Amino acid sequence: MSEVAIGIDLGTSNSAVSIVQDGQVEVLPNTFGERIMASAVGFREDGNILVGNEAKANVVHEPSSTVTSAKRLIGRYFFSEEVKKAQAICPYQIVEGPEHSVRVQVREEVFSLPEISAMILRELKSVAESHLGHEVSKAVITVPAYFNDNQRQATKDAGKIAGLDVLRILNEPTAAALAYGFGQGLTQKVAVWDLGGGTFDISVLEIGEDVFEVISTAGDTFLGGDDFDDRLIDLLADEFIQAHGQNLRQNPHTFERLKLAAENAKKDLSLEDTVRIEIADVAKDEEGNSLSISRDLTADDFSKLTNDLIQRTFKVCDEALQQAGVLARELDGVVLVGGPTRLPVIREAVKAYFQMEPKTDVDPDVVVAMGAAIHASELVAPQQQAFLLDVTPLSLQVGVAGGFCEPVIERNTPVPIEQSRTFTTVQDNQETVVIRVYQGEQKLVDENELLGQFEFSGFPRARRGDVEIQVTFAINSDGIVDVTASEPGTGEAASTRITLSSGLSEEELQSILSENRTDRVLTDMVARAEEAAIPAAEPLPELETAPPAVAAAVASAAASMAATAPAGEETLDLATDEDGGVPELEVDSDLSEGEMNALLEGSDEELTQPALQETTAPAAEAAPAPPAPAPTAKAAPAPPAPAPTAKAAPAPPAPAPTAKAAPAAPQAAAAAPEAAPADDLFDAVGTDLRDGDPADPDEDFELGS
Amino acid sequence: MAAVKLAELRVLANIVEDLDYYQLLEVAPGATAVDVRTAYHSVARRFHPDRLRQEGPDVVAAAERVAKRVSEAYAVLRDPRRRRVYDQQKGGGERRLQLVSGGAEADRQVSQEREGKTPNGRRYITLAHQDLARDNLKNARQNLQMALTFEPDNAWVKSTLTELKEKLR
Ligand SMILES: Nc1ncnc2c1ncn2[C@@H]1O[C@H](COP(=O)(O)OP(=O)(O)O)[C@@H](O)[C@H]1O
Ligand SMILES: [Mg+2]
Repeated sequence: MSEVAIGIDLGTSNSAVSIVQDGQVEVLPNTFGERIMASAVGFREDGNILVGNEAKANVVHEPSSTVTSAKRLIGRYFFSEEVKKAQAICPYQIVEGPEHSVRVQVREEVFSLPEISAMILRELKSVAESHLGHEVSKAVITVPAYFNDNQRQATKDAGKIAGLDVLRILNEPTAAALAYGFGQGLTQKVAVWDLGGGTFDISVLEIGEDVFEVISTAGDTFLGGDDFDDRLIDLLADEFIQAHGQNLRQNPHTFERLKLAAENAKKDLSLEDTVRIEIADVAKDEEGNSLSISRDLTADDFSKLTNDLIQRTFKVCDEALQQAGVLARELDGVVLVGGPTRLPVIREAVKAYFQMEPKTDVDPDVVVAMGAAIHASELVAPQQQAFLLDVTPLSLQVGVAGGFCEPVIERNTPVPIEQSRTFTTVQDNQETVVIRVYQGEQKLVDENELLGQFEFSGFPRARRGDVEIQVTFAINSDGIVDVTASEPGTGEAASTRITLSSGLSEEELQSILSENRTDRVLTDMVARAEEAAIPAAEPLPELETAPPAVAAAVASAAASMAATAPAGEETLDLATDEDGGVPELEVDSDLSEGEMNALLEGSDEELTQPALQETTAPAAEAAPAPPAPAPTAKAAPAPPAPAPTAKAAPAPPAPAPTAKAAPAAPQAAAAAPEAAPADDLFDAVGTDLRDGDPADPDEDFELGS
Repeated sequence: MAAVKLAELRVLANIVEDLDYYQLLEVAPGATAVDVRTAYHSVARRFHPDRLRQEGPDVVAAAERVAKRVSEAYAVLRDPRRRRVYDQQKGGGERRLQLVSGGAEADRQVSQEREGKTPNGRRYITLAHQDLARDNLKNARQNLQMALTFEPDNAWVKSTLTELKEKLR
């Protein structure tokens, strides 16, 4: 029997699992017949964990013990804007974990984000298993195309925790295009416009029968359907303050009701022109009389409230089209993905922007899961029917002196790819450089995402500029980034996979795996067993205001897709093949994981702190325009014998780009953040910056010519 | 899997560093953008690592090595800016172009072309820029045509002229 691999769409709001079986692509329903499951995780008092629509329905009752939209937080740093925003609106507690990672605290227990996502994956895995009647371990999981490497790694960790062998992290719009064009023999240039609950992606693809080539991709990981709800919530809350002088946002329960009403009103607008918003008993006035909200909302009102959000997506589209070198009207089609694309206001806007009617022959809610399943099945048993040529969504850069970045691989470069750039030391007798890897499009390191850093030493001591260090970035087919540094003179090489990014160290991951709290999820399997044992299962907590999200989605799906197969029956033909045996991809690294950990141990503090540039700020101030040359002799503080390992290495004199590599330095000074305690910086390698020569640019290297 | 194909891949993986971008994609130096894309697809169809997974880790590693260089070749040849820089460099025996600096070098060339490379060319191009700023497309077209007589291979002038002709039609 050929091996089965599942495709999982792990969404911000909703998730789905799909498989290819007997040539058919099928989105699998759970015990309740739901093919789309809310990405909500509810922690019950008895310690059990509920995942899905039931958990979401319960959020109004137990807001602080229900985690929703976890995908907004996964792979982020605690100090990031998104986390601050989430803290303001999420009823559950968001706390800081080690290395500036994010954790959520529920009922006295602290969970990492990969663990939360793992609970959702665990449920989906179980849905697939109860459908197939046997265990499944291999999976393709989708992420927004614009996710950075930290977010991808964290998602991969989530898969691991859920007991899945993640064959590939696949971009959502690419998956959608695959499901759209699979087996159709199309030769088309298409755009996939994907607006989910929390993210927006646009990808431009060239489909050539069996080839799905992504030409460009762009996105916004801070923009989704939830933001549309927020506008409505603001409207309702502000109106209530005006009318009654009470702020409904202060009570978490009331706030959840407001949120639910807003989301439902928005969804209803996909079917009707005017909807009525009724929320009974939201508050009491001074005399104890109950107060309610009751108002009509027209599609027009809604459009005015949210127009700027829609326009924001088109800015991103401009970028993607420009990068692809394609004009909107040159496209053969626009594929819509994501719940919000059911809204007529959005469809109209998309139609106006692309000057064409968007495709309606795909189900925007399940197309991503279907594409993931198709790719999964091609990976375990290649049918040679469809293959993907993707690009890297974000530029990979190296941090150099002055708080600047130098790109090594630019965004929208086809992958797999390998590129090198040569840098030089900035100080005489420099023995160590710290190579910091960033992802993003900005010139300043602070404005990009730090993926990780490692140290490189063992090269000969020489005058500054005389030592050349070649930094090579490779992105493999499986999306993993490898960074290697070498000194061509001696051939000394250090290499690392960037593994520091998900917010979980290897040890933490191991301890999570051994404890495995995902076992507490009352999975579909358990539900089925219970159902068999006790025919009259406990009724779902029903809410007056909210029909289960899925029922609504399915209803609207059916309504808006009259032309296609009814919901629940989308299938695609796919020949089957008997083949198994998936070779594991080997990624060569000169360091074992253990060695890597040893190397990085102790450097925890400076790792995730993007304020590393502080070290360079004084230098920038002291020496405007090209950074002052490092004074000789002083540069390397009393170097002991050359250090073979990073730990023993003396002060890593940090990077300094030459004038040609760096824009005017005063900018750097202006952009440098407030000084932070030096303890946070380079302790691990033994330098106390406070003792350093202030004129001494503590910088790794500069670009070699 | 055809043994011939695997043998071919093995050979290719060994010599991949010695091939230039045209050889990697198996296209002629005069290949059009469409030819380049078609060639990229057909090389990928044969040697994409995903399509060879069942052949074992060694084969996948070889395919990965080839695929990285094929991506690089494609990133250069599909991009007229980079391709121009590459073609010039290749005359000097260079087989690879650093994508990042290739882009930067091309930008530098473009900005030079936007200003003009000869004294007379510069004069007319400056006039054309002024016309464009005033939205006087007809005059801009005339001035660019003049510039072209002094700098017949100025790609920026050529492409701007094409755009203007399109707009004036
Ligand atoms: N019928 C509908 N009309 C408008 N918005 C909808 C509809 N159904 C779902 N949504 C919205 O779509 C978003 C979720 O979309 P989805 O594609 O499931 O996101 P994700 O992939 O991020 O989980 C939510 O903001 C939800 O309110
Ligand atoms: Mg989605």
